[in-house]
Amino acid sequence: MKDAQHLLRVIIIFVAALVGFLLVRSFLVPESFGKLGHYRANAVDDVLALPRHYAGEPACKKCHAQQASDKAKSSHRHMSCESCHGALQAHVDSPKTVKPSKPKENEMRAFCGNCHGKSLSRPAKFPQVDLEEHNRGMACNQCHQPHQPK
Amino acid sequence: MDMSLIESLRNALPLVSGFIYPNELELQWSILIVLYPYITGLVAGAFVLASLERVFNVKAIKPIYRLSLLVALAFLLVATLPLNLHLGHPERGISILMTPHTSSAMAMFGFVYLWYLMVVLLMEVWLDYRKQIVEWSRSETFWPKRIFYKVLTLGVDNISPRSLAIDEKLGKILTVVGLPSALLLHGYVGFIFGSLKANPWWSSPLMPIIFIFSAMASGIAAVMLIYMFLCWARDVVIDMPCLDTIGKFLLTAIIVAFSLEMLESLQTAYEAEEHFDIITLLVEGKLLVSMMLIQIMLGSLTPMFLLGLTQVVELPEKVRKVFYMLSGSLALIGIFAMRWNVVIGGQFFSKSLRGFTTYKMHLVGREGLFSAIIVELLPLVILAVLLYLLPPWEKESHSKSPTTAA
Repeated sequence: MKDAQHLLRVIIIFVAALVGFLLVRSFLVPESFGKLGHYRANAVDDVLALPRHYAGEPACKKCHAQQASDKAKSSHRHMSCESCHGALQAHVDSPKTVKPSKPKENEMRAFCGNCHGKSLSRPAKFPQVDLEEHNRGMACNQCHQPHQPK
Repeated sequence: MDMSLIESLRNALPLVSGFIYPNELELQWSILIVLYPYITGLVAGAFVLASLERVFNVKAIKPIYRLSLLVALAFLLVATLPLNLHLGHPERGISILMTPHTSSAMAMFGFVYLWYLMVVLLMEVWLDYRKQIVEWSRSETFWPKRIFYKVLTLGVDNISPRSLAIDEKLGKILTVVGLPSALLLHGYVGFIFGSLKANPWWSSPLMPIIFIFSAMASGIAAVMLIYMFLCWARDVVIDMPCLDTIGKFLLTAIIVAFSLEMLESLQTAYEAEEHFDIITLLVEGKLLVSMMLIQIMLGSLTPMFLLGLTQVVELPEKVRKVFYMLSGSLALIGIFAMRWNVVIGGQFFSKSLRGFTTYKMHLVGREGLFSAIIVELLPLVILAVLLYLLPPWEKESHSKSPTTAA
């Protein structure tokens, strides 16, 4: 045993390193880690506590029933209100002071063109126009109503 | 968007051809990820060379046994550095050890790495040097070094024949255990690429095996060159039987690695799946120089020819030395090119299989050329420190063998 004393010391060092590792780990691993899965469970609460920017369509429907019902019957029915009007939680919180945005008249052709500009990569039946030729200079909503597009 | 990023995209765009998806323009895995398998490969190769003496009793390479271990240790200490430098948040790298997921190959690698470093390599070096460490702790006149050796003795200065016999036996067991550990360590690097089934350039069960054999070639070549350099720097005669034996093993490793690579290429060509066209364009185009010229012609065929000549023709010692030096250097360059072709080459072509992107390496910055050079040179600095603290030639100078000059 005397001749293996140095190995005993090595074993002690390894055990100490292992204990040290476990000790460091107990400090570094977040408390709620692993409760719900391989992540920090408290992260869910942290995300919930973040300020909300998007209110969601049900919040819009409460006050804008007519527009919501028009849109529900149209080909834009799968589009969210906030796709065109931007994030609206601030408007829901203070309807009088914060007004929803909507595409500006001079930017409308580019805005609608994001989806309806002619492109070979879109399905052939998808409504699309060549913005260079189609009624140049006119805003889209002069002919098409976004809530009931035709 | 960051203006410098826009500027770099402007430079990159003319170099893109065909159809690529928008997120494929910028390569995510840079030169640091090329260095990572390269460095771990050198570790595994150097260790395999050491084990030839210890486990397989190849006595001719005894003079480089300790040097191989120190080379493996120096490179292993740096092996994870390129990965950490690649991370945007290097401080989070430790999380794979703190909260490892069993489905993460990289997390499991963290433990293999720790096992190999702590239990295998450090222990083996310590056991092999223990007798000298105790002696140095008594005789060293420079006090910081004496304290260092005193700490390394762990307070036990028993170097009785029985305790040394225990060390020898345990060292042998550790080498036997260490050999599969070294192969696992490097096999894992090939595994991580080989298991990426979305990329036909990588996805192959042969990948870990190819990586292991090329690792052996690179590690053996590195130790051989370092040994030759050290003999020249210390003005001692090179042990030619040792060098010739290393040359033989280097030739074997290169032949096996090259044959496996070619077999895999043949299989890909023979199967000619839907990705074959883009791979042909890749090899004939963007990888023409780095693969055909550097990896295959210069890095594999030339060393095979030179080392083959040393086996079949009776060459004078001086010529053999030149041949070994050339073959070792070319093999190292060729294997670096192989890692480059795998890591960077695999990101060149689009998942659409219809276009190519490009790689514009930065000169400075976290993932730039200078970082890569520092990461590559750092193990050599560490090795110099290790050689200063634990000179591997000390033991041989006491030995009776007249041929052992280093």
